[in-house]
Amino acid sequence: MNLALFIPELALVATAVIVILLDLLTEQKRLLAQVSISGLVVAGGVTVAMWGHNFPTIFNNMLAVDNFALFFKMLFLGVAFLVILSSVDYVIKFARFQGEYYALVLLATLGMMLMAATTNLIAIYIAIELTSISLYALVGFLKDAKSTEASLKYLLLGAVASAVLLYGMALIFGFTGKTNLHDIAQSIQALSPPTLFASPALILGIVLLVAGFGFKIAAVPFQMWVPDVYEGAPTPITAYLSVASKAAGFAIILRVFFSAFGQPDWLSQNWGLIFAGLAVISMTLGNIMAIPQSNIKRLLGYSSIAQAGYLMVGLAALGVSPVGDILGQSGVLFFLASYVFTNMGAFIAVIAISGKLNSDLIDDYAGMGKRAPLLALALTLCLISLIGMPPAAGFMAKFYIFSAAVQHDLLWLVVIAVLNSVISAYYYLRVVKVMWLGQAASQEKVPSSAALRLALVLSCLGVLLLGIIPGYMMRLAELAARIFIP
Amino acid sequence: MLGLEHYLILSAILFSIGLYGVLSKRNAIIILMCIELMLNAVNITLVAFSRYVVPALLTGQVFAIFVIVVAATEAAVGLAIILAIYRGLEDIDVTKINLLKW
Amino acid sequence: MGLVISFWILAAICILAALGVIFLRNVFRAALSLILCFLMVAGLYITLSADFLAAVQILVYVGAISVLIILAIMMTREVQRGSPSNRLQIPAFIVAILLLEVLVLTLLKTPWQIATTPPLAPTTTALATRLFGEGGFILPVEIAAVLILSAILGAIVLAREK
Repeated sequence: MNLALFIPELALVATAVIVILLDLLTEQKRLLAQVSISGLVVAGGVTVAMWGHNFPTIFNNMLAVDNFALFFKMLFLGVAFLVILSSVDYVIKFARFQGEYYALVLLATLGMMLMAATTNLIAIYIAIELTSISLYALVGFLKDAKSTEASLKYLLLGAVASAVLLYGMALIFGFTGKTNLHDIAQSIQALSPPTLFASPALILGIVLLVAGFGFKIAAVPFQMWVPDVYEGAPTPITAYLSVASKAAGFAIILRVFFSAFGQPDWLSQNWGLIFAGLAVISMTLGNIMAIPQSNIKRLLGYSSIAQAGYLMVGLAALGVSPVGDILGQSGVLFFLASYVFTNMGAFIAVIAISGKLNSDLIDDYAGMGKRAPLLALALTLCLISLIGMPPAAGFMAKFYIFSAAVQHDLLWLVVIAVLNSVISAYYYLRVVKVMWLGQAASQEKVPSSAALRLALVLSCLGVLLLGIIPGYMMRLAELAARIFIP
Repeated sequence: MLGLEHYLILSAILFSIGLYGVLSKRNAIIILMCIELMLNAVNITLVAFSRYVVPALLTGQVFAIFVIVVAATEAAVGLAIILAIYRGLEDIDVTKINLLKW
Repeated sequence: MGLVISFWILAAICILAALGVIFLRNVFRAALSLILCFLMVAGLYITLSADFLAAVQILVYVGAISVLIILAIMMTREVQRGSPSNRLQIPAFIVAILLLEVLVLTLLKTPWQIATTPPLAPTTTALATRLFGEGGFILPVEIAAVLILSAILGAIVLAREK
């Protein structure tokens, strides 16, 4: 086994430990952010260097180092980079616990990287828990009533979801006798169709897995934690949850469902339809519930539920598509990349604006177009991308996913999705309208720190680049999705 | 004769009892206890599968060991939050947690 | 025969204890009931010839997690507050019964591929080989170590005063 392939993960653990120790020694807390970022850069550099080589799996076939895993690792490292940049000023609120904050962000990132790469049910379960436990703690970091309650709620619901997920894994393990995804696929394919039809345990196991993963990606009806947790958590962590945690959930769904349940065709069509159903209710409920929200964090929370719905349109398309067609997969990967930049950008703008206003209310954003024109412009760009209008990334992302769905006879689903995009335009544009046309409460400028500006520029650049020249990212996504062609 | 099904049904019953408790109780400590109940139920399933399906490999028992690790960490973090709430934040009532509010 | 009798006794007490957790009004008694349930599960592991796991169950669940729960109950004076139910009792009951029905039907209808080989005993060495040996589960062990680190960090941050 080649331990060199494990360097990105090792680098993150080492950085986390260094940060904790350094926290004891230094009064210069900014140093902690710098160390964390350099750890992320090292891990990211090594990950980029590993791209395209198609290494074998390591750790006794439990950890894949394929392009798919690397694609997501780069995504998570990028998000963690932006989250830490946008936390540099926010962490002052945590007075005593800045070291722990950065360490937990790094450990959660590590958990997500492992989620995208592990190929064994046991390792998948424990990687999910590493992510979750770190996030439960991070949500409660503000230590005020809302934040603590959010953390408790997230933990209790998350633990229930992981128990359900675990039951599903247990059924699948009991049915096949295997825990490795590849072996599971082989034993499913070895069974004759009549035996498979007479075995409800497999289907029930899959349904329970969908429920467990559905919690991670915040799909309706497993979304009840979203609004309260998004509102109560520190804003950088809300951004992190809405972006990375969701992407990690999709990474693991793609890998598990493709590697283990991709064959036979009727099986993948069945779970494709499950995702189609979830997509419809997630989009519709997410968008409808977002309309009356007055708090921008709650609004973005519901919007992220709806975005998970659009993503599941992609999952449905690739469930019903025949093996070897990777338009659906690469579409989902592209959507995730664009969603990451867009939502990160939106949240960074919210951190900058709300940090100054001390308020998350949309009404207080009135007149931001004059008080902080650049921030307002960035937020507008990101909201436009969330609607899915050109020239932003969201347009191309929806285009890819919906065209994949249309090609596989899911026109009805696409029609519902497009209608939903129209509804969503209403509440996204309301924020834009308040910012540019509303009467400002004061004329005072809203300044933002250099770190925040850098993070915001990077995300907006991503949104524009992906929207105007999507070819490069699509090429990466196709390379990453290629591992699913048997 | 004792078979796999006996253990599986027992575990299904325990899991359902745990789920009922999670959905119907308002006290956070009780909810946490019910979650432990659910995890124990899954462990029985795993160990039973291990015994009857792959008796020589022990995969299910290995899985169960990791579940126990996770259960312990979840309990530790959960109880830390509950303690914090009682320590300083009187305005949250842990006995009035409503998990299913939308 | 002895195995069958012990299974039924253990299973019966286990279910009764689990019901006790949700129906006892006094939180402290509910916790004791939970401990009883944990003990019975350890007994069930022995009937499944999982001797090491039974020991782990007693050490971790009965020894550590229970103590943690009781500590929390005592420190938070939770006992007097009782164990109230929310308004969702009836829907929760229906959901639980439906889930139970689906699970039982599924579990009974599925043709499990039961192996005829006798179980390994004792399991301790074999488990160690599976966890740490060649071709084993060393990756989850490593991740579990990091998991515990993050749980420690999280618990410290959340429980300490601001």
